[in-house]
Amino acid sequence: MLFHTPQFFLFLVVVLLLFYTAPRAWRRWILLAASYFFYMCWNAKFILLIIVLTAIDFTAGIWLARLAAGRKRKAALIMSLSANLGFLGFFKYYNFMAANVATLLGMPIHAFALNIILPMGISFHTFQSMSYVIDVYRGEQQPITDPVDYALYISFFPQLVAGPIVRARHFFADLYHWRAPDSQEQLRGVLLVVFGLLKKLAIADQFARLADQFFSKPAAYPGWLAAWSGVVAFSIQIFFDFSGYTDMAIGLAQLLGFHFPDNFRRPYLSRGITEFWRRWHISLSTWLRDYLYIPLGGNRHGRWQTYRNLMLTMLLGGLWHGASWNFVIWGGYHGALLSFERALGIKDDRRAWRLVDPLRAALTFALVSISWVFFRAATLRDSITVLGRLFSGPHGHIIWPHWMLWYAVLALLLAAWEERSGWFERLPDAPAWAYAAAIALCLFCLELIGFTDHAVPFVYFQF
Amino acid sequence: MQATAQTAKPASTTEGGTSRVAVRLALALVFFFALDALVFRTGWYARLLNPDSTAGFLQTYLWIEQQRPMNYPRQALAVGDSRMGVKARMANALTPETRLRFGTIAVPGTTPRCWYYMLRELDPDADRYAAIVIGLDTYDDRGFENLNDRELDINYLTPLVGFADFVPFVSSYQSWPARIHAAEAILFKGLAYQRDFQDLLARRHTRLEVARINHESAHEWFYNAVWERRSLAGMSVDWNAHKLSLPDWVDAQHRSIAENLLLNDPPAYFDQFARYRRRWLGAILDRYRGSRTKIIFLQLPRGPVVRPNLTTDRTSSIREFAAHGKALLMDEHKFDSLERPELFGDVQHLNEAGGLQFTTMVAEEVSRMVGLAEGNR
Repeated sequence: MLFHTPQFFLFLVVVLLLFYTAPRAWRRWILLAASYFFYMCWNAKFILLIIVLTAIDFTAGIWLARLAAGRKRKAALIMSLSANLGFLGFFKYYNFMAANVATLLGMPIHAFALNIILPMGISFHTFQSMSYVIDVYRGEQQPITDPVDYALYISFFPQLVAGPIVRARHFFADLYHWRAPDSQEQLRGVLLVVFGLLKKLAIADQFARLADQFFSKPAAYPGWLAAWSGVVAFSIQIFFDFSGYTDMAIGLAQLLGFHFPDNFRRPYLSRGITEFWRRWHISLSTWLRDYLYIPLGGNRHGRWQTYRNLMLTMLLGGLWHGASWNFVIWGGYHGALLSFERALGIKDDRRAWRLVDPLRAALTFALVSISWVFFRAATLRDSITVLGRLFSGPHGHIIWPHWMLWYAVLALLLAAWEERSGWFERLPDAPAWAYAAAIALCLFCLELIGFTDHAVPFVYFQF
Repeated sequence: MQATAQTAKPASTTEGGTSRVAVRLALALVFFFALDALVFRTGWYARLLNPDSTAGFLQTYLWIEQQRPMNYPRQALAVGDSRMGVKARMANALTPETRLRFGTIAVPGTTPRCWYYMLRELDPDADRYAAIVIGLDTYDDRGFENLNDRELDINYLTPLVGFADFVPFVSSYQSWPARIHAAEAILFKGLAYQRDFQDLLARRHTRLEVARINHESAHEWFYNAVWERRSLAGMSVDWNAHKLSLPDWVDAQHRSIAENLLLNDPPAYFDQFARYRRRWLGAILDRYRGSRTKIIFLQLPRGPVVRPNLTTDRTSSIREFAAHGKALLMDEHKFDSLERPELFGDVQHLNEAGGLQFTTMVAEEVSRMVGLAEGNR
């Protein structure tokens, strides 16, 4: 049941009706039942996995709170993290490791392979669960004593499959001090859902067709213009796909009275890679910072240790996305760029834009787009082929239809306007006609340009 | 934060707050439908439709008929699918004798449901024509397709159906997927035109040029269309052996169609087909009840050869209409003489020689029937 299908909206209406008409005491149960139902629509058997992980970390949280600092406490933490990483490792990385071992031993690549289905959203809810246990261990989070509350935190359907990765303190603050969303929050929630749907169906899926066309047969599109247009099409697809999903997740949560943090802040307007990671998939980048980069030492032990920590964090961040060398290289590439910027003294730039900044933003976009080649190409060999085409050969032709160029320019202008004026966040406060016109325009664009032939899965659902 | 604390008492949404949201969302829907109507319900976009699309094809036929000069007092209109081979140019050459000017909206692939909405679009006041001639493959209530659920009709009719048609149009479909498709075509025009609109964005210069040329000169190619001059002379069917022999010039695709049509024995619909005809042909008759327009049904030439054992003695909605004085029927054997291979270009359609004879016979018969009906008034 994907967010952009009629079935999901039917499900949502039923959940909202039940949630707001049921007695207060039942509401957590309703949300938990709805979340489990949502997950089981994908694969009913895997609900057991979520329940087991929930039980392990719920128990670990209580146990950690009861134990005094010392070996036993550390053992409890290690046990919980091992369970989480064990499940994640088995489901996500077993075949990758088995293939590499087989290759090293000179055996067929599938010699040790198992037929494993990757459970939906496992990377997201595992990280969420781990952050809770670590926070309890650090004393930054009280243990949750009600298993229903904790189960809801892990499985809450708006963010179950692709985040954002919500920290326990934010989620439980909303849960324990729940209040019905006021009118402004309701308007924002609706706007986010409609806008997310627009991003996904009318932009991401349109560009997905171009990206799929190019990456399925790069050799059929000779020339660097063709290669760049195929790669940029994927850059646009992945941003609008993921941020569209996130907008919907945040909007849906808001309609239920929960407040999720932003996950994207116009990342393609970044003037450097450091700034890019402050704006892209914020819930993951802050997770990596808080639970990996800083514990590794962050930037506290000199220049080379900092570079090492950046590289390690980004390599593991890459591996988090998927079990293949492509993702490792993608992470390594970003780690190297971050280290390079740090070496040059380029910092996260929060100043107003200057004349040179459009060029810096264009360069950053190009660098990020190059990294997406590893994300999108099916194999490392394909990635190298596409990279070669980006920088060599005849110029060829842009593979985009002419109107999609204007479409992309329009999206860029709207993003720049949002960066400058924050028009989107101000819309719920705008006069009724302006808010209504914005929603109507979104619906009209969805009607005309939304890709409705079949439901294209969200890119991040595979992670 | 206390983990054991229970959910705090919520600050409930005020009535004013809820109504603020409701007003804005209602206003958004009003704006959306207004925008949708402005672009798609004013007839503006219908003129830009790709003439090669189903809806665009039908629009072209209607446009041509709407632009046809109506300066002759007695106008007749031929309605039907592609087999309704009345060629207006030939029929109008006989005007001095028939005292009728002919137009035609015989659109390939259309059905009585389409004809009802096409006639409503062309003739909103039901006073444009002296006669409307509707070609049917048989007067018997025997069909080989469940026309009730024919989704192709939705593609044809999207530009012609509006909010007021919601209940009758949607309920005329039997399956829920088809009903949802029909409802979409009425409520969300942009969704129905989505492919066409995206094609317009992708090829806007070409499309605008095609639309311009289509409006300027479609009537010329329409009226001067070249017919199939070859014939099926020499074809034969051995009904017992299930063997069909066609002239050498017939290509594989047409051979396959011919075999499918003549040698297969698909299940026939009877009662369902009768209900469908009563509904949609009845609706056409109701529109013209009490008007000066005579509705004339004719049974088309069935083909270059006629399948044996097809006649039925079941009730006929068409004959019932005539018996109740709602419609005029041409003699059902009127065109039997045309059912010869040398007058057909394929197993369904008359060739040029057949069309010429058919058109002449229709024009003369319509003239006679209209004259007779007017004389009896």
